[in-house]
This record gives sequence, structure tokens and C-alpha cells, in this order.
Amino acid sequence: MLNFLKLLLTPEFFFSILRISAPILFATLGAIIVEKAGFCNIGLEGIMMFSALAGSMVSYYTGSWLLGLLGALLMGTLLGFVMGFFAFQLKTDITLVGIAVNMMGSGGTLFLCKVITNLTEGKAMASTTGLITSGLCIPNITIPLISKIPFLGGVLSGHSLLTYLAFLICGLTSVILYKTSLGLNIRAVGENPNAASSVGVSVLKIKYVAIMYSGLMAGFGGAFMSMSYAQGWSQDMVAGRGFIALAAQAMGSGECLGGMLSSLVFGFAQALGIKFSAIGLDSNLASPIPYAVTIIGLVIFALSRRSRDKKQRLTAKK
Amino acid sequence: MTKRRQVVFTLVRGAVAILIALLVATVLIFVSADGAGFSEKLAATGEALRQMLAGPLFRLSKTGASFDLKRLTDIFAAMIPIIFTGLSVCIMFSANQFNLGAEGGIMLGAFVTAMIAIYVPMAAGLHPVAAVLIGSLSVAVMMLLPALLKTRLGVSEMVCSLMLNYIVMYLIKFLLNTYLADKTKGQIQSYEFLKTSLIAPMIDTGAKLSWGFLVALAAVVLCGLFMYRTRWGYAIRMIGINQAFSRYSGMKVSLVIVMSQVVGGFLAGMGGGIEMLGRYNTFSWSSLPGYGWTGITIAILAGNNCYAVPLAAFFMAYLSKGCDLMATYAKVPSQLIDIIQGVIFLFFAAEQFLSHYRQKLVVKSAQEELARKKLENADKKEGGAANA
Repeated sequence: MLNFLKLLLTPEFFFSILRISAPILFATLGAIIVEKAGFCNIGLEGIMMFSALAGSMVSYYTGSWLLGLLGALLMGTLLGFVMGFFAFQLKTDITLVGIAVNMMGSGGTLFLCKVITNLTEGKAMASTTGLITSGLCIPNITIPLISKIPFLGGVLSGHSLLTYLAFLICGLTSVILYKTSLGLNIRAVGENPNAASSVGVSVLKIKYVAIMYSGLMAGFGGAFMSMSYAQGWSQDMVAGRGFIALAAQAMGSGECLGGMLSSLVFGFAQALGIKFSAIGLDSNLASPIPYAVTIIGLVIFALSRRSRDKKQRLTAKK
Repeated sequence: MTKRRQVVFTLVRGAVAILIALLVATVLIFVSADGAGFSEKLAATGEALRQMLAGPLFRLSKTGASFDLKRLTDIFAAMIPIIFTGLSVCIMFSANQFNLGAEGGIMLGAFVTAMIAIYVPMAAGLHPVAAVLIGSLSVAVMMLLPALLKTRLGVSEMVCSLMLNYIVMYLIKFLLNTYLADKTKGQIQSYEFLKTSLIAPMIDTGAKLSWGFLVALAAVVLCGLFMYRTRWGYAIRMIGINQAFSRYSGMKVSLVIVMSQVVGGFLAGMGGGIEMLGRYNTFSWSSLPGYGWTGITIAILAGNNCYAVPLAAFFMAYLSKGCDLMATYAKVPSQLIDIIQGVIFLFFAAEQFLSHYRQKLVVKSAQEELARKKLENADKKEGGAANA
């Protein structure tokens, strides 16, 4: 047990927590912004799959990771727009739109991958891992001064560009939501669309902005998965992170800081699972840990919210 | 709007949605088709489409087509699990519960049934029935988790059931790999099912169409009766339409919500069990089979109406078979089915899709109604005048 703790209290372990949390954090931000606008985007998982494929394809064919990243972001935003079109214009239930996107995201991406790369049908698990070299991945950044600090340097420095961006954009999203008129409009539309439209806010436009921003975030998350977390795209590589993000959003009570903390919790759970399997736990027992933690987290969150509500009601009575 | 017009509108709308999906498919096939020039690609696309649309029923050759009974029975066999997941999703979605656990449910049902089939010897007639029932019950119990968390704590049943899918899959893989695998075999699979447990095939075409098909059709009728002829079914549908009103009118909303998901789980598990004993003789699934997601599409196509589920299941099985054939004969990846499925799904679920056309029909009906009333009134007046 003590040995295991020693294994945990290394800079590498904390480094891996941050690395694993980053894509979940991106997706969580995507879930938060639409939650503020009053709906739920369960298509994050599918958008991440498509963006991951787009990122790895574009970077392979252009030879530039930057263009690949832009391709992933464009794909995410575009899918956000399409979801918006179906949900707001054609009045499809947004949950069902999300399910459809996820459906296409799992098999459709494999189809596109096979068609674009001409990998043969014989290979059951098609992927682009063979095509992508490390030069096509998003570069890691060593921070000059911080990397010299003994423990902290190993934790904070040397991450992928996108990991830093994830935490920066988390702050940025919070600023957008609470310090800009756009954010005010988004929250107003979520709270009461009729009131918002009565003061001249275009509810439809704001909803589109929200879901496209959500798609953009999922695009970041997808790009991270195929261009940094792994080298290249493979089938079902997002593995439920889009769904975990929905739980992280709920546990963070829909705020950016809370969402970040819950993403870190999931990152911790997964990093722990990886460590467990490193010391000999069957990987099939270690892999479900993050999913179980999600359910447990949701339950704890719901229980604490209930007891808080009870207290509030009691104080209100007095 | 008259009832006939309503039906016509629904049919036209469905046909247009399917047409759009096929159009998207054609474009994708064209892009992926082999061939140097435009005309060559076009020919390849035509061949691929022919395989996809006619292939499931007819053996195609250069000269013509001949009906193929084996392929038809293949489709029927493929319908069995998705009829069950379709019914399961229908009932859960009717109560407005977006429980997506049918996917994990069918795997758990299949696994538990397989275990009973291997390790618990029983008499020939009793064995499959008991095995499938125990498998179904285990999934019903599993569904208690998302259902109770939803009604007691307000935890999203959707997120919870999705997480459960992954947990179920990994735990089954763990048990299979470490304890239950037949180590003499090259791939990871369980020991063989006892002969007494297998569900016999209905006809011998090599398609493995078992008597489970009849059970599936019986389940359709039973679910239809349950949803439209019992007060439980009524409560489920009422809660789906307006939960606040249902609570206000004295229904036990929480209980009914839990029940809808338990029944849904039972059905999904039954699908898994029957699929296992009817089609396989060892358990070797190493990932989620995807029937749960197809079940969601089926429920949407059927408009949550249990009686329409077999039709929708036939359609999906047909398409899926078509895509498989296309992959074999025309080198177009079979995952095209997921894109077609997604597009059809989107347009079927879109309330405002073709709403202009519906509006026109409504206006037309109203005008006709008015004209008829006018005529009637005129008749009455004339009659009155003649009497006087």
C-alpha cells in the first residue's frame, strides 16, 4: 500500500491527471455553455469523434498540425451548426439530434476513414495511427522557468499546447459568460427566453451561438484525442468522454470552475485506473473505474444538493 | 385534418425522409466508388445501389435477379434482437425517459442467459425458457439503478445508463477473460452451451432463423396490449405527454417511471438471451453489439408505437443486410449504414420537417369542412322554405 502511494505521489502521475482531464474539460465547457442557454447537447461524443478524424486527416494530407487543428475546430463548429439547424429550425428534440450525431460518430467516422484512406475492408479495426508521425501531432511546450522547479516543473511543464489551452479557455468561457453582453444574453435565453426576446435579444441567434461554441469545444477535445492523446484516429477512441463531460457539467453545477474541478476528478479516476493496471490489475477491471466514478459522483452531488435544499428550506421557515 | 390525410401525410413524410437518406448514401457511395472516370464511377455506384436495395431479397447476376429465400430468412433472423430493443426503447421513451441502457442491457441479458445455458443443466423444454427469463430479469434489476437514481435523486437517467453500458461491457469482458473462457480455443469464448438449452431453428435455410422470431412477434403484441389496453400502459404514455398533469391527477409518477425502465430492461435482456441461444453456441461478444442503438432508431421510426416496431425492424434489417452485401460485392464500407440510419433518424424526428405541406393539408381540410357546412345550411334553409 505504501509502495503504491509512492507510485502515485510522482510528478508523472499528476502530469497524467492534467493530460487526461484536458479533453474532458473541453467537452465539459461545451456542455456548460449550452446548459446556460437552456438545453443539453448530448452529441458531444459524436462531434468529438468527427473532429478527431478531421484533425488527423487534414494534418496528414496537408502535413501541418496547425491546419489539422483548424480542420478539427471547423468540423466541430459545423456539426454544432447542423445540430442547431435540426433542433431549432426543424424542431427535432435536441436529445434525439444528439443521439443521431453519436450514432453517425461511431460508425460513420469509420466509414469516412476507410473511404478517404482506402484502407481495406479486411482490417476490422481501421485507424490512422499508421499514417500519423509525431511531427503531425500538436507540439508539447516546455515552460522556461517553471520547468526548473523540482516537483511542480514535472507536473506543469511539457504538456501539449492544447492542455494549456483547455485551462485558459475554461477561464475565458467563464469571462464570456459573466463579463460580456453575449454571456448575459446566453444566460438570459437559458433562464427565460420570452423575457430575453421581449428586450430585443434574438433567441434563435443566441442558441445558434451557444451550440456552435459547444461544437467548437468538442472540436478542441476531438483534436486533442487524435493529435495529442494518441497519435492518430482509431475507432471509438473518444470512449464516452463526451458523456462523462455531461456528468462533469452537472456535478460542477453548470459553472466553469466547478466543471474544471469535476473534470480533474475524472482525470484522477482514469489516471488511477491506469496506475492500477500498471501494478497488475486486469485492465478490464481498471477501465470501468472512470465510468463508475461518474455515477458515484452524480449520486454524491445529488445527495449534497438535496441536503443543501433542505437546509435552505429550514432556514426559510425560521 | 381527416384521418386519411393524416395517414397520407405520415407516409409521404417517411418516404421523403428515406429518399433524402438514400440520396446522401448515393453521394457517399459515388465518392467512395472504384473507377477512373465519371462514367465508370457512375456505373460502380449503380451496381452498389442495386446490391444495397435489391440484394437483401434477390440474388443478382449480370442477366437478372432470382429470389433468394436464405436472404429473406437472414433478414428475419436479424430482426429478432432489434425488435426486442426497439420495444424496450419504445416503452422507455413513451414515458419520456431517455434511458439508453438497452445496449448494455442486451449484452448483460445475453451473458447471463449464456451462463445458465452452460452451467445449469435442466430438462430440454425448460432450459431455454428459464435461461432467457433469468437473463431478462437480471437486466430488469440492472435498470433499477438508473430508474431509482432518477426518481429518488434526480440524476440524469441518460448519463447513468450510458455509463452503465461501459461498466457492464468491461465487467463481462473481465469475467469472460479471466474465469469463464475456454482456454483450449484460439479466440476468447465461453464453453459450449448445453444442447438442451438451444432454441431450435424454424426452417432450415442456413440462416439460423430460430423460433425466437415468433417469440419476438408475440412480444410485439403483448407490448402493444400493455401500452394501449392496460392502465399501466396508459399511465406510461400519460406521464410521457405531461408529467406534471399526471402527478396532479393522482398517478404514482415515480413508480410508473421506474416500472417503464424495468420493463424496458426486461425486454432488452430477453432480446439478448434469445439472440444468444437461437444463433450461437458459445458466448464470444467482446464489445457492445450495437442493437441498442438500432433499437432507438426503430423506436423513432415507429413513433414509439409498439405495433409498428416489426415493420421498422424489417426496414433496418433490410438496409443493414443491403449494406453488408454492398460491402462484399461493391467494396463500399458497410458502416455506411450508420450514416443512413442517422440521417433517416434526424428527419423522422424532425417535427417541422415538411410542415408547410402539412399546413396546406390542414387548410384544405378546413376549407372543405366549411364548404360542406355551408352546403348543409343551404339545404336546411331550402327545406325550411319549402315547408313554409
